[in-house]
Amino acid sequence: MSLLVVACLVMAAPFGWMAATSLMGQLEVFGPGQLLPESPLWSNYPEALTAQPFARFFLNSLIFAAVVVAGQVATATTAGYAFARCDFPGRDNLFLLFLATMMVPAVIVLIPRFLMIEALGWIDTYQGLVSTELVSVWGIFLMRQYFRTLPRELEDAARVDGAGHWRIFRSVALPLAKPAVATLTLFAFIDAWKNFLWPLLVTRSMEMRVVEVGIAAFHSTYQINWPFQMAAGVVATLPIALLFLLTQRYFVRGIQLEGIR
Amino acid sequence: MSGEGAVRRLPILAVLAVAAVAAGAALILVLAAGSVRAAREHSSGAEARMAASLYEAPGVTEADVAEFLAGRGRILPATAGGPGPGAFGYRSGALEPAAWIAVQPAGGGSGWPWAASALGLFAAFAMSAWAAARRRSPPPARFPVAAALLSATLLALVAVAAGRWEQDELEAISRAHLDQGLSAAGMAHAAGAGPEEAARVAGLPWADDAALDEPDRLWTMPREVGAAIAAARPLPSAGRHRVAAGGAVYHGGSLQLRDRPASLHLVLLGYEETASAAVVLTAAAAGSALVVSLVLLLLPLASRPRALSRTLAAWGFLAPAGALLLLFTFGPLLYSLWISLHDWHLLDPAHPFTGLENYRSVLGDGAWWAAIRNTAVFTLHVPFAMAVALSLALLTRQSRRAIRWARLALFLPSITSVVAIAVVWKWLLNDGYGLANRALAAVGIAPVAWLSSPDTALVSLMVISVWMVVGYQMVVFQAGLAAIPRDWYDAARVDGASRWQRFRHITLPGLRHTLFFVLVTSVIGSFQVFGLVYVMTEGGPLGATDVAVYHIYREAWEFLRFGDAAAMSWVLFGVVFAATWLHFRLLERRGSHA
Repeated sequence: MSLLVVACLVMAAPFGWMAATSLMGQLEVFGPGQLLPESPLWSNYPEALTAQPFARFFLNSLIFAAVVVAGQVATATTAGYAFARCDFPGRDNLFLLFLATMMVPAVIVLIPRFLMIEALGWIDTYQGLVSTELVSVWGIFLMRQYFRTLPRELEDAARVDGAGHWRIFRSVALPLAKPAVATLTLFAFIDAWKNFLWPLLVTRSMEMRVVEVGIAAFHSTYQINWPFQMAAGVVATLPIALLFLLTQRYFVRGIQLEGIR
Repeated sequence: MSGEGAVRRLPILAVLAVAAVAAGAALILVLAAGSVRAAREHSSGAEARMAASLYEAPGVTEADVAEFLAGRGRILPATAGGPGPGAFGYRSGALEPAAWIAVQPAGGGSGWPWAASALGLFAAFAMSAWAAARRRSPPPARFPVAAALLSATLLALVAVAAGRWEQDELEAISRAHLDQGLSAAGMAHAAGAGPEEAARVAGLPWADDAALDEPDRLWTMPREVGAAIAAARPLPSAGRHRVAAGGAVYHGGSLQLRDRPASLHLVLLGYEETASAAVVLTAAAAGSALVVSLVLLLLPLASRPRALSRTLAAWGFLAPAGALLLLFTFGPLLYSLWISLHDWHLLDPAHPFTGLENYRSVLGDGAWWAAIRNTAVFTLHVPFAMAVALSLALLTRQSRRAIRWARLALFLPSITSVVAIAVVWKWLLNDGYGLANRALAAVGIAPVAWLSSPDTALVSLMVISVWMVVGYQMVVFQAGLAAIPRDWYDAARVDGASRWQRFRHITLPGLRHTLFFVLVTSVIGSFQVFGLVYVMTEGGPLGATDVAVYHIYREAWEFLRFGDAAAMSWVLFGVVFAATWLHFRLLERRGSHA
């Protein structure tokens, strides 16, 4: 038990250090033996967050993540349903082909995707940011596994009533799959929020940066102003921490669904 | 079942197939016409720019510029407030715009591939005639395959015809552009400009005879082009010539210089090289053929209406995900392979085909192998992380409350922003003022150069990575542990098995699948590490943390060598694939013993 407490403290230490530094003066952090701020300097937060348009970065991240989540949920639920519940020639081979893409390092498609987005003139636009991220094969896999666990009888009952596949999907399967959809939503949201490389490549202007790119650029601009950087870090971390606190069980269920196959 | 249903269903599907062929052909034609139009507009812009430079050249009058434009464009007074729509304006005069020059996109040639269109019409007609002929007799089993082949052939023919047309048009535009360049340079030269100024008016790469004789000092045009021109001398006195160099075709022309027995040579990289949409046309033809094949795949089901409607419904459900995957994953995979076979520089419009040359140079590149080695070393953090995560999972096994509270602290690192975490750790591992070295100093240990020494930087990144992934792995292990039946432990305890024996013979085998899953996904993930390196070390110090994805990123977006970068990414794929395959082989064999 005490071992666990120590482990948790070690794991949480960097966050504590981040919070402590974010409240210190710019020179105070270089002082000897100073671990906690003498008196908390709350003004670091407004100053750091207005030094570059962080509100805009958050808005961009939110738009990016929201569209990506909507897209992934739409594509994963429909495709997952088709693979789990429809019967058509070549289904299993097609599913394997989809799964095989999970083995391919994302960096391979980065260059052609970038050239495509550039050819479309979508560099530095929202459509350029989101369009490549709207499908998640992992999401399709998750939804397929979930739909397969639903009892067939429910569907058969609906079919007797004369419902087609679309009606069954919308009014029987999808409502029952809410937990899986919640899990997918969370994971897609977190992944989109953490996505760094793609937004780094397809955005140029300050106005289009997402939080991740914004913090990286902020870091290289304010090299030694550690309190400002830590303040930005705290603000970037807090929403995710809150989200996790509120939705822990969906996270855990998602990981369990994924891990046990 | 049978013939009757088939005959009834066939027309709809045949109409669909014909429509798909027609739509595919139309797409190909529009793409070809679009790239020709874009080249025309570009060349008109270049002409306006030439006219403006000519306008500024000393000794050139407005009448000369009007003569140069020869009715293709107009000179408007600055007060006109800019050119109207559909024209290309250029400001002349250093600070104050002295005049606007507007050039209409050149006519000439036909703006539309008529011959290819006729062929497309014929293709659609042939498909429908063929389908109609088939309609009279019930289709044999091989009908869809034959129809798919027919439609693919027809579409390929249309693509070839459209491509030929596009090629011819682009060549004509290139010739016209070069002619205008020569004429502008000639006028400027006649008005007294030296060769260099004259060439600048034309805005084209140039060389005079003296420069061609000394290829080492040639910097005003690509060196291999200069060499090709020098080799082709004597050149036709008034004519134009074509130079093939560096895998691309250049259009060249020469101008006799006044009072010197020498010529000024101008070259233009042909529009057919820069604007050629071969990839796009091929993709359009392939996409159309795919659609047609999909329609035709349904034909065997035509005799079974229920199966047909089921399949159609399934395809409807798959359409959004399938189309996006095709467009942004499968398509790019092929495109990336294509890029890796070319000398592809982002700023250079010519992409000469070089076969396996990129792979050869990448495989012989020490820096790249160092990056792969660093990545492999970095991946060694995975077993450590798994050991820590498994111990934590075992520790939290007893109490549900402990699990809940431990989770937030342990899990947070794996879900928060990688960049923010990287910045925090960079500060934490700061040589002079970071928490790590302060803690060491407090217990009297000399400070460690965590990130600033090549010996420790990679290890530091590995430690951070362990910290980041442990929480996630722990939750996976908790799930795996929960799936092992309790009675097995009870039975073992009755048999007097020790703690270690229980772990070794029940827990580990029970977790086999989970361990395998975590191992494979973590290894694949760790081969793609990027954010940490980008923020914390930028691959340094001395390349000690230059990992594969970061190396590819720099190759592509810093040095703009996309061809090499694409080849590298395929080599990386090979390495990841080999590693995964090895895991499967080794662990599966071990598994069969257990």
